[in-house]
Amino acid sequence: MPETQVKDAVDHVRAAAQELHKAISDAAAKRGGAAKADLEAVPMKAKAAIDSIKGSMATQNAAAKKHLSEAVAFLEATQKHAADGVKTTGKEFQTAVRQTIADARAAVQQVSEAVAAKRTAPATAGARK
Amino acid sequence: MRNYIAVVFDDTTKAYEGLHALWQLDDEAAITVHGTTVVHRNDWGEYNVDSKDTHPALATAVGVGVGALLGALAGPAGAAIGAARGAAIGAASGGAVGAVADVARADTRDESRYETAWVLGAGQSAVIADVSEDSTFAVDERMRRLGGSVYRRAYGDVRDDKWFDDYPYDYYLYPYEYVPPYSPWWAY
Repeated sequence: MPETQVKDAVDHVRAAAQELHKAISDAAAKRGGAAKADLEAVPMKAKAAIDSIKGSMATQNAAAKKHLSEAVAFLEATQKHAADGVKTTGKEFQTAVRQTIADARAAVQQVSEAVAAKRTAPATAGARK
Repeated sequence: MRNYIAVVFDDTTKAYEGLHALWQLDDEAAITVHGTTVVHRNDWGEYNVDSKDTHPALATAVGVGVGALLGALAGPAGAAIGAARGAAIGAASGGAVGAVADVARADTRDESRYETAWVLGAGQSAVIADVSEDSTFAVDERMRRLGGSVYRRAYGDVRDDKWFDDYPYDYYLYPYEYVPPYSPWWAY
Protein backbone atom coordinates (compact mmCIF):
# COMPACT_ATOMS: atom_id res chain seq x y z
CA MET A 1 0.00 0.00 0.00
CA PRO A 2 1.48 3.38 -0.99
CA GLU A 3 2.07 5.99 1.65
CA THR A 4 -0.86 8.29 2.21
CA GLN A 5 0.08 11.60 0.64
CA VAL A 6 -0.95 14.93 2.01
CA LYS A 7 -3.24 16.52 -0.54
CA ASP A 8 -1.92 19.80 -1.81
CA ALA A 9 -3.55 22.78 -3.48
CA VAL A 10 -3.75 21.13 -6.92
CA ASP A 11 -5.64 18.14 -5.50
CA HIS A 12 -8.14 20.55 -3.95
CA VAL A 13 -8.43 22.47 -7.22
CA ARG A 14 -9.10 19.19 -9.00
CA ALA A 15 -11.83 18.29 -6.52
CA ALA A 16 -13.44 21.70 -7.09
CA ALA A 17 -13.29 21.29 -10.88
CA GLN A 18 -14.76 17.78 -10.65
CA GLU A 19 -17.56 19.14 -8.46
CA LEU A 20 -18.23 21.87 -11.01
CA HIS A 21 -18.52 19.34 -13.85
CA LYS A 22 -20.79 17.18 -11.69
CA ALA A 23 -23.05 20.15 -10.92
CA ILE A 24 -23.35 21.13 -14.59
CA SER A 25 -24.00 17.58 -15.82
CA ASP A 26 -26.59 17.10 -13.06
CA ALA A 27 -28.23 20.37 -14.15
CA ALA A 28 -28.24 19.23 -17.78
CA ALA A 29 -30.18 16.11 -16.81
CA LYS A 30 -32.96 18.27 -15.33
CA ARG A 31 -35.75 19.94 -17.22
CA GLY A 32 -36.51 23.61 -17.95
CA GLY A 33 -36.50 25.97 -14.99
CA ALA A 34 -34.69 23.60 -12.64
CA ALA A 35 -31.78 23.29 -15.08
CA LYS A 36 -31.61 27.06 -15.50
CA ALA A 37 -31.61 27.71 -11.77
CA ASP A 38 -28.69 25.31 -11.34
CA LEU A 39 -26.80 26.85 -14.27
CA GLU A 40 -27.09 30.31 -12.69
CA ALA A 41 -24.73 29.20 -9.93
CA VAL A 42 -22.06 27.98 -12.35
CA PRO A 43 -20.25 31.27 -13.19
CA MET A 44 -19.62 31.92 -9.48
CA LYS A 45 -18.35 28.37 -8.91
CA ALA A 46 -16.12 28.60 -11.99
CA LYS A 47 -14.68 31.89 -10.74
CA ALA A 48 -13.91 30.31 -7.35
CA ALA A 49 -12.08 27.47 -9.14
CA ILE A 50 -10.12 29.97 -11.27
CA ASP A 51 -9.06 31.93 -8.18
CA SER A 52 -8.05 28.71 -6.50
CA ILE A 53 -5.91 27.63 -9.48
CA LYS A 54 -4.23 31.01 -9.72
CA GLY A 55 -3.40 30.83 -6.04
CA SER A 56 -1.81 27.40 -6.36
CA MET A 57 0.23 27.86 -9.56
CA ALA A 58 3.37 29.43 -8.11
CA THR A 59 4.48 26.29 -6.29
CA GLN A 60 3.96 23.88 -9.21
CA ASN A 61 6.47 22.50 -11.71
CA ALA A 62 6.53 23.79 -15.31
CA ALA A 63 4.44 20.97 -16.79
CA ALA A 64 1.76 21.32 -14.13
CA LYS A 65 1.74 25.12 -14.55
CA LYS A 66 1.10 24.75 -18.28
CA HIS A 67 -1.90 22.49 -17.69
CA LEU A 68 -3.24 24.77 -14.98
CA SER A 69 -3.03 27.80 -17.28
CA GLU A 70 -5.04 25.92 -19.87
CA ALA A 71 -7.53 24.89 -17.20
CA VAL A 72 -8.05 28.56 -16.35
CA ALA A 73 -8.84 29.31 -20.01
CA PHE A 74 -11.42 26.51 -20.12
CA LEU A 75 -12.95 27.64 -16.83
CA GLU A 76 -13.28 31.17 -18.20
CA ALA A 77 -15.11 29.67 -21.19
CA THR A 78 -17.29 27.69 -18.77
CA GLN A 79 -18.13 30.92 -16.97
CA LYS A 80 -19.02 32.69 -20.20
CA HIS A 81 -21.13 29.91 -21.70
CA ALA A 82 -23.05 29.40 -18.45
CA ALA A 83 -23.71 33.15 -18.11
CA ASP A 84 -24.84 33.34 -21.75
CA GLY A 85 -26.91 30.19 -21.39
CA VAL A 86 -29.14 31.46 -18.59
CA LYS A 87 -30.27 34.30 -20.88
CA THR A 88 -31.52 31.85 -23.52
CA THR A 89 -34.30 29.30 -23.88
CA GLY A 90 -35.11 26.13 -25.82
CA LYS A 91 -32.55 24.82 -28.27
CA GLU A 92 -30.12 27.68 -27.62
CA PHE A 93 -30.21 26.90 -23.92
CA GLN A 94 -29.50 23.23 -24.57
CA THR A 95 -26.58 24.15 -26.82
CA ALA A 96 -25.15 26.47 -24.16
CA VAL A 97 -25.46 23.74 -21.52
CA ARG A 98 -23.63 21.21 -23.73
CA GLN A 99 -20.92 23.77 -24.42
CA THR A 100 -20.62 24.54 -20.71
CA ILE A 101 -20.23 20.84 -19.91
CA ALA A 102 -17.61 20.43 -22.63
CA ASP A 103 -15.62 23.40 -21.27
CA ALA A 104 -15.86 22.13 -17.70
CA ARG A 105 -14.80 18.65 -18.84
CA ALA A 106 -11.79 20.10 -20.63
CA ALA A 107 -10.90 22.12 -17.52
CA VAL A 108 -11.01 19.01 -15.28
CA GLN A 109 -8.91 17.17 -17.86
CA GLN A 110 -6.22 19.84 -17.69
CA VAL A 111 -6.20 19.91 -13.88
CA SER A 112 -6.05 16.13 -13.81
CA GLU A 113 -3.07 16.23 -16.19
CA ALA A 114 -1.44 18.76 -13.86
CA VAL A 115 -1.96 16.30 -10.99
CA ALA A 116 -0.36 13.52 -13.07
CA ALA A 117 2.59 15.81 -13.92
CA LYS A 118 3.02 16.66 -10.26
CA ARG A 119 2.91 12.99 -9.21
CA THR A 120 5.33 11.88 -11.91
CA ALA A 121 7.93 14.57 -11.20
CA PRO A 122 9.20 13.21 -7.83
CA ALA A 123 9.37 9.64 -9.22
CA THR A 124 11.38 10.83 -12.22
CA ALA A 125 13.69 12.88 -10.01
CA GLY A 126 14.21 9.84 -7.77
CA ALA A 127 15.09 7.63 -10.74
CA ARG A 128 17.88 10.00 -11.78
CA LYS A 129 19.71 9.71 -8.46
CA MET B 1 2.73 6.51 -19.17
CA ARG B 2 -0.82 7.25 -20.13
CA ASN B 3 -3.13 4.42 -21.15
CA TYR B 4 -6.71 3.63 -21.92
CA ILE B 5 -7.70 0.53 -20.00
CA ALA B 6 -10.65 -1.85 -20.06
CA VAL B 7 -11.22 -4.01 -16.99
CA VAL B 8 -13.67 -6.84 -17.62
CA PHE B 9 -15.73 -8.34 -14.78
CA ASP B 10 -18.21 -11.19 -14.69
CA ASP B 11 -20.96 -9.12 -13.09
CA THR B 12 -22.15 -5.57 -12.68
CA THR B 13 -21.56 -5.25 -8.95
CA LYS B 14 -17.94 -6.33 -9.34
CA ALA B 15 -17.52 -3.73 -12.08
CA TYR B 16 -18.61 -0.97 -9.71
CA GLU B 17 -16.20 -2.34 -7.11
CA GLY B 18 -13.51 -2.11 -9.78
CA LEU B 19 -14.55 1.46 -10.62
CA HIS B 20 -14.36 2.40 -6.95
CA ALA B 21 -10.97 0.69 -6.58
CA LEU B 22 -9.58 2.69 -9.52
CA TRP B 23 -10.58 5.98 -7.92
CA GLN B 24 -9.17 4.74 -4.62
CA LEU B 25 -5.84 4.13 -6.33
CA ASP B 26 -6.05 7.70 -7.58
CA ASP B 27 -6.79 8.92 -4.07
CA GLU B 28 -3.68 7.07 -2.87
CA ALA B 29 -1.71 8.80 -5.67
CA ALA B 30 -0.71 5.38 -7.05
CA ILE B 31 -2.18 6.39 -10.42
CA THR B 32 -4.03 9.40 -11.84
CA VAL B 33 -7.46 8.70 -13.28
CA HIS B 34 -8.56 11.17 -15.96
CA GLY B 35 -11.96 9.63 -16.66
CA THR B 36 -14.05 6.48 -16.35
CA THR B 37 -17.25 4.89 -17.53
CA VAL B 38 -18.90 1.49 -17.10
CA VAL B 39 -20.24 -0.57 -20.00
CA HIS B 40 -22.59 -3.53 -19.53
CA ARG B 41 -23.61 -6.34 -21.83
CA ASN B 42 -26.84 -8.04 -20.90
CA ASP B 43 -27.78 -11.69 -21.31
CA TRP B 44 -29.25 -10.91 -24.74
CA GLY B 45 -25.96 -9.43 -25.94
CA GLU B 46 -27.09 -5.76 -25.89
CA TYR B 47 -24.64 -3.12 -24.67
CA ASN B 48 -25.48 -0.26 -22.30
CA VAL B 49 -23.29 2.58 -21.11
CA ASP B 50 -23.79 4.38 -17.79
CA SER B 51 -24.84 7.92 -18.64
CA LYS B 52 -26.51 10.84 -16.89
CA ASP B 53 -27.89 12.06 -20.19
CA THR B 54 -31.67 11.80 -20.24
CA HIS B 55 -32.16 13.25 -23.72
CA PRO B 56 -32.32 10.37 -26.25
CA ALA B 57 -30.12 12.13 -28.80
CA LEU B 58 -27.42 12.87 -26.22
CA ALA B 59 -27.58 9.35 -24.78
CA THR B 60 -27.18 8.06 -28.33
CA ALA B 61 -24.15 10.29 -28.83
CA VAL B 62 -22.59 8.79 -25.71
CA GLY B 63 -23.37 5.30 -27.04
CA VAL B 64 -21.71 6.07 -30.35
CA GLY B 65 -18.68 7.67 -28.72
CA VAL B 66 -18.11 4.88 -26.22
CA GLY B 67 -18.70 2.34 -29.01
CA ALA B 68 -15.91 3.96 -30.98
CA LEU B 69 -13.66 3.93 -27.90
CA LEU B 70 -14.33 0.23 -27.31
CA GLY B 71 -13.37 -0.37 -30.91
CA ALA B 72 -10.26 1.77 -30.53
CA LEU B 73 -9.19 -0.31 -27.55
CA ALA B 74 -9.32 -3.34 -29.79
CA GLY B 75 -7.10 -1.60 -32.39
CA PRO B 76 -7.61 0.76 -35.34
CA ALA B 77 -9.74 -1.69 -37.29
CA GLY B 78 -12.07 -1.92 -34.34
CA ALA B 79 -12.69 1.82 -34.19
CA ALA B 80 -14.46 1.82 -37.53
CA ILE B 81 -16.57 -1.13 -36.53
CA GLY B 82 -17.27 0.35 -33.12
CA ALA B 83 -18.44 3.67 -34.47
CA ALA B 84 -20.65 2.05 -37.08
CA ARG B 85 -22.21 -0.44 -34.69
CA GLY B 86 -22.56 2.17 -31.97
CA ALA B 87 -24.40 4.47 -34.35
CA ALA B 88 -26.69 1.74 -35.58
CA ILE B 89 -27.68 0.38 -32.19
CA GLY B 90 -27.40 3.61 -30.24
CA ALA B 91 -29.81 5.36 -32.58
CA ALA B 92 -32.41 2.71 -31.92
CA SER B 93 -32.17 2.34 -28.19
CA GLY B 94 -30.12 5.22 -26.81
CA GLY B 95 -26.92 4.81 -24.85
CA ALA B 96 -26.14 1.42 -26.35
CA VAL B 97 -23.11 0.29 -28.28
CA GLY B 98 -22.53 -2.48 -30.73
CA ALA B 99 -20.77 -5.78 -30.44
CA VAL B 100 -17.52 -4.13 -31.36
CA ALA B 101 -15.04 -6.17 -29.42
CA ASP B 102 -16.34 -9.50 -30.68
CA VAL B 103 -16.10 -8.37 -34.27
CA ALA B 104 -12.69 -6.79 -33.83
CA ARG B 105 -11.36 -9.92 -32.22
CA ALA B 106 -12.36 -11.93 -35.25
CA ASP B 107 -9.58 -10.15 -37.12
CA THR B 108 -6.67 -12.19 -35.83
CA ARG B 109 -4.03 -10.19 -37.70
CA ASP B 110 -4.97 -7.04 -35.81
CA GLU B 111 -5.34 -8.98 -32.58
CA SER B 112 -1.71 -10.03 -32.70
CA ARG B 113 -0.48 -6.48 -33.29
CA TYR B 114 -2.05 -4.84 -30.26
CA GLU B 115 -1.65 -5.25 -26.58
CA THR B 116 -5.41 -5.03 -26.18
CA ALA B 117 -7.86 -7.41 -27.80
CA TRP B 118 -10.79 -8.35 -25.68
CA VAL B 119 -14.33 -9.62 -25.64
CA LEU B 120 -17.14 -8.48 -23.40
CA GLY B 121 -19.29 -11.57 -23.04
CA ALA B 122 -23.02 -11.69 -22.36
CA GLY B 123 -23.70 -10.76 -18.72
CA GLN B 124 -20.28 -9.15 -18.27
CA SER B 125 -19.42 -5.53 -17.49
CA ALA B 126 -16.28 -3.49 -18.13
CA VAL B 127 -14.79 -0.40 -16.57
CA ILE B 128 -13.24 1.81 -19.24
CA ALA B 129 -10.70 4.35 -18.01
CA ASP B 130 -8.10 6.86 -19.09
CA VAL B 131 -5.23 6.68 -16.60
CA SER B 132 -1.67 7.87 -16.03
CA GLU B 133 0.39 5.16 -14.34
CA ASP B 134 4.12 4.85 -13.66
CA SER B 135 3.80 1.07 -13.71
CA THR B 136 0.97 -1.30 -14.58
CA PHE B 137 1.38 -3.20 -11.30
CA ALA B 138 -0.97 -1.18 -9.07
CA VAL B 139 -3.97 -1.47 -11.38
CA ASP B 140 -3.26 -5.07 -12.42
CA GLU B 141 -2.86 -6.28 -8.86
CA ARG B 142 -5.91 -4.45 -7.44
CA MET B 143 -8.15 -5.58 -10.31
CA ARG B 144 -6.87 -9.15 -10.16
CA ARG B 145 -7.90 -9.32 -6.50
CA LEU B 146 -11.39 -8.23 -7.54
CA GLY B 147 -11.56 -10.83 -10.29
CA GLY B 148 -11.13 -8.38 -13.17
CA SER B 149 -9.04 -8.82 -16.33
CA VAL B 150 -7.13 -5.71 -17.44
CA TYR B 151 -6.53 -4.75 -21.08
CA ARG B 152 -4.54 -1.69 -22.15
CA ARG B 153 -3.77 0.44 -25.13
CA ALA B 154 -1.42 3.41 -25.03
CA TYR B 155 -3.21 6.76 -25.09
CA GLY B 156 -0.81 7.97 -27.78
CA ASP B 157 -1.67 5.05 -30.05
CA VAL B 158 -5.39 5.71 -29.71
CA ARG B 159 -4.80 9.41 -30.44
CA ASP B 160 -2.98 8.42 -33.62
CA ASP B 161 -6.02 6.53 -34.91
CA LYS B 162 -7.74 8.42 -37.67
CA TRP B 163 -11.02 8.11 -35.76
CA PHE B 164 -9.79 10.08 -32.79
CA ASP B 165 -10.73 13.45 -34.26
CA ASP B 166 -14.30 12.32 -34.86
CA TYR B 167 -14.80 10.97 -31.35
CA PRO B 168 -13.38 13.01 -28.48
CA TYR B 169 -13.26 10.02 -26.17
CA ASP B 170 -12.37 12.08 -23.10
CA TYR B 171 -15.75 13.76 -23.34
CA TYR B 172 -17.59 10.47 -22.84
CA LEU B 173 -15.73 9.51 -19.67
CA TYR B 174 -16.77 10.95 -16.33
CA PRO B 175 -13.92 12.82 -14.63
CA TYR B 176 -15.03 11.49 -11.22
CA GLU B 177 -16.58 8.32 -9.83
CA TYR B 178 -20.04 8.22 -11.36
CA VAL B 179 -22.38 5.42 -10.33
CA PRO B 180 -25.93 5.71 -11.69
CA PRO B 181 -28.78 5.79 -9.14
CA TYR B 182 -30.26 2.51 -10.43
CA SER B 183 -27.01 0.62 -9.95
CA PRO B 184 -26.96 -2.54 -7.77
CA TRP B 185 -23.86 -1.01 -6.14
CA TRP B 186 -26.15 1.10 -3.94
CA ALA B 187 -27.63 -2.06 -2.41
CA TYR B 188 -24.31 -2.66 -0.62
